[in-house]
Amino acid sequence: MKALVTCKRVLDPYIKARINADGSAVNLDNVKMAMNPFDEIAVEEALRLKEAGSVTEVVAVSIGGPKSEETLRQALAMGADRAILVESDQDIEPLAVAKVLKAVCDEEQPGLVLMGKQAIDGDSNQAGQMLAGMLNWAQGTFISEIKIDGETANVTREIDGGLEKLSLKLPAVVTADLRLNEPRYASLPNIMKAKKKPLDKKPLADMGIDTAKRIEIVGLSEPAERQAGVMVDSVAALVEKLKTEAKVI
Amino acid sequence: MTSAIQQLLANLPPAIQVTDPDVLATYLTDFRHKYTGCTAAVLKPRTTDEVVNIVRACNAHNVPLVPQGGNTGYCAGATPDDSGDQIVISLERLNQIRHFDPDNRSITVEAGMVLSDIQDHCENHGLLCPLALGSQQSCQIGGNISTNAGGVNVVRYGMSREMVLGLEVVLADGSVLDTLSPLRKDNTGYAVDQLFIGAEGSLGIITAATLKLQSLPKQRFTGFLAVASRQCLPKLLSDIQAETGDLVSSFEYMAADAIQHLLNKKPEHRLPVSSGHRHYVLIELGTSASKLPLTDLAEAALAEQIEANIVLDAAVASNEAQRAAFWAIRESIPEGEVLNGASVKHDVAVSVSNLPSFIDQAAGIVTSTGPGCRLSIYGHVGDGNVHFNVLCPEGSNEIDHTWIEVNLSPHIYELAAKMHGTFSAEHGIGQVKLALNAQYGNAKKQALMRDIKRALDPNNLMNPGKMLPLG
Ligand SMILES: Cc1cc2nc3c(=O)[nH]c(=O)nc-3n(C[C@H](O)[C@H](O)[C@H](O)COP(=O)(O)OP(=O)(O)OC[C@H]3O[C@@H](n4cnc5c(N)ncnc54)[C@H](O)[C@@H]3O)c2cc1C
Repeated sequence: MKALVTCKRVLDPYIKARINADGSAVNLDNVKMAMNPFDEIAVEEALRLKEAGSVTEVVAVSIGGPKSEETLRQALAMGADRAILVESDQDIEPLAVAKVLKAVCDEEQPGLVLMGKQAIDGDSNQAGQMLAGMLNWAQGTFISEIKIDGETANVTREIDGGLEKLSLKLPAVVTADLRLNEPRYASLPNIMKAKKKPLDKKPLADMGIDTAKRIEIVGLSEPAERQAGVMVDSVAALVEKLKTEAKVI
Repeated sequence: MTSAIQQLLANLPPAIQVTDPDVLATYLTDFRHKYTGCTAAVLKPRTTDEVVNIVRACNAHNVPLVPQGGNTGYCAGATPDDSGDQIVISLERLNQIRHFDPDNRSITVEAGMVLSDIQDHCENHGLLCPLALGSQQSCQIGGNISTNAGGVNVVRYGMSREMVLGLEVVLADGSVLDTLSPLRKDNTGYAVDQLFIGAEGSLGIITAATLKLQSLPKQRFTGFLAVASRQCLPKLLSDIQAETGDLVSSFEYMAADAIQHLLNKKPEHRLPVSSGHRHYVLIELGTSASKLPLTDLAEAALAEQIEANIVLDAAVASNEAQRAAFWAIRESIPEGEVLNGASVKHDVAVSVSNLPSFIDQAAGIVTSTGPGCRLSIYGHVGDGNVHFNVLCPEGSNEIDHTWIEVNLSPHIYELAAKMHGTFSAEHGIGQVKLALNAQYGNAKKQALMRDIKRALDPNNLMNPGKMLPLG
């Protein structure tokens, strides 16, 4: 069975996001980018399924600019077999992402699509669900465990207040949550090998997909700066401040 | 409380005095919990003028002063003696930025500013404050300068000394030496402010410093390497420097045992490369040039070393989280020692070329003389500096830290001396290494140090008994 894994290039989550002066977007010039951490978990799981013999080929796919090749090379260095870059110079919306991935699935015919539960930039949490809908495949979202058993994938979902176990008929779309695994480090010998693995590039413009924007971003703002704490001299002073300043008692 | 101290405190504003015994306690024990002193009060001046007033009052009442920064020093230099006659002066409230000059690439900060706050401020303005060490969230720049701290970037940027352009110091008589200067060139006499760098508070109290800043790296390459042998470390570093145009900023050696002590107690750390090797290195390169193909350069340089079987395995951090995880291993090694019963530390430096053979011979001494003793060896290879630390045998009643200090340490220091090395590379003298200094230090240098101390602090009020023995 072939597994398709999605890898989005996003702002490194360790870096403090800053908004452009005009408030229109997060500044991505000259800042450190990285693979979406949930996608990294998805790649790791695909590799583990391959090592367990459930998957025979792992194909990494990314939609993005030329630099997204680095993100795909990382997936290849982790152990993916080959990669597809859908070249797009604009950041497309979740619906368009799902349409593009649907086209890739039609061509590649994977038995399993592994995705991150969301990308940490837009935090939309939509692409996986929409892709499953378009393909009319089973879906398991927010998964913390997956086992392949013949024609089914048994997954555990992390839901509010507990865990839900589902049996999905393959082919299926699953999206990874944080606790699914801890991704491996890329070793230098594998990084060198990854440079020679096949990476196909397809211009998005050639795919005949309508990716027009449907959502208008009205504005972005940074979270309010946290106020520095103050030391109070006595319990009485604390109570006084809680009453008059914090107004919580 | 002696009457001298009573009178001293009566002459100083109550707002800068702390006398609550519970609060005082945190200032009276050194970071490694080996020395505990006594004091009637901790003084917390908010301005240089308040420091001046304190020093003048101390002169008037003949009360010795112990300056304290973040209290993270390894040689108990900031801990008062147990007589109760000394007063601790904490610089923590003197923590403002006085002047930031990005075009001159300099910043003037007060002594009590926490190092990581300075780093953050510079970084937010596109510059690098290159001093970095494990204690950066608590140590203060005044303490860093007073110990001439080294840390993990010395191979690229040098020790604290190299970043100091000028200082403001309150001298023992209460006068102020102000050389806070943005100048990079000023050949107008003896470099007197250099005397206060690494002086551990024995000559005066540093109240502010002008620091030289660097370009902020826009790209970093962080690798965790398994290396074939210790002998190949110096050449490995020098080859990578040559291949990459001297872009290495850290090259930190860790023997397998040092990491293993940590992993045994803290399994949440994950070794980034295959296990079973004996030598590991954390390497970091950086450049401010965003167009330089840093990753390609570094990968190519390392691939050659893999080809030559010098590097046996290597992991590359692909994001900041992984980079942080690599560094967490290196920086938690001291914690690993503590969790295994703590260590007797030997902060030795020899020439970079002699470092592997020093470690091999010193390890030989421990194996043959201290049966069962465990080693935790790690350090800054590019600086020829190794932390050659010895832990007691597991569950041993016979061999304790004192046994190691009596039976092993002298041989280790003897070996360092024989190889023209030092017994204190970056941690200083404080009160911990006075005897070692008497034994292995340069006699003429110490005689000159005593002359300087007498000239600048004739009444011996500035941190007496640290750096130089009393009397
Ligand atoms: C986890 C950890 C990692 C460390 N790693 C390193 C390392 O890599 N490299 C290294 O060199 N050190 C290292 N150290 C040692 C220590 O952090 C440094 O020596 C640091 O520079 C001390 O700063 P501090 O503010 O804590 O000074 P303190 O410990 O408070 O004082 C140190 C000495 O300086 C004097 N002093 C302090 N402030 C002033 C002042 N304003 N004027 C005059 N004298 C003053 C004190 O009297 C004392 O003698 C490490 C320590 C820890 C706990």
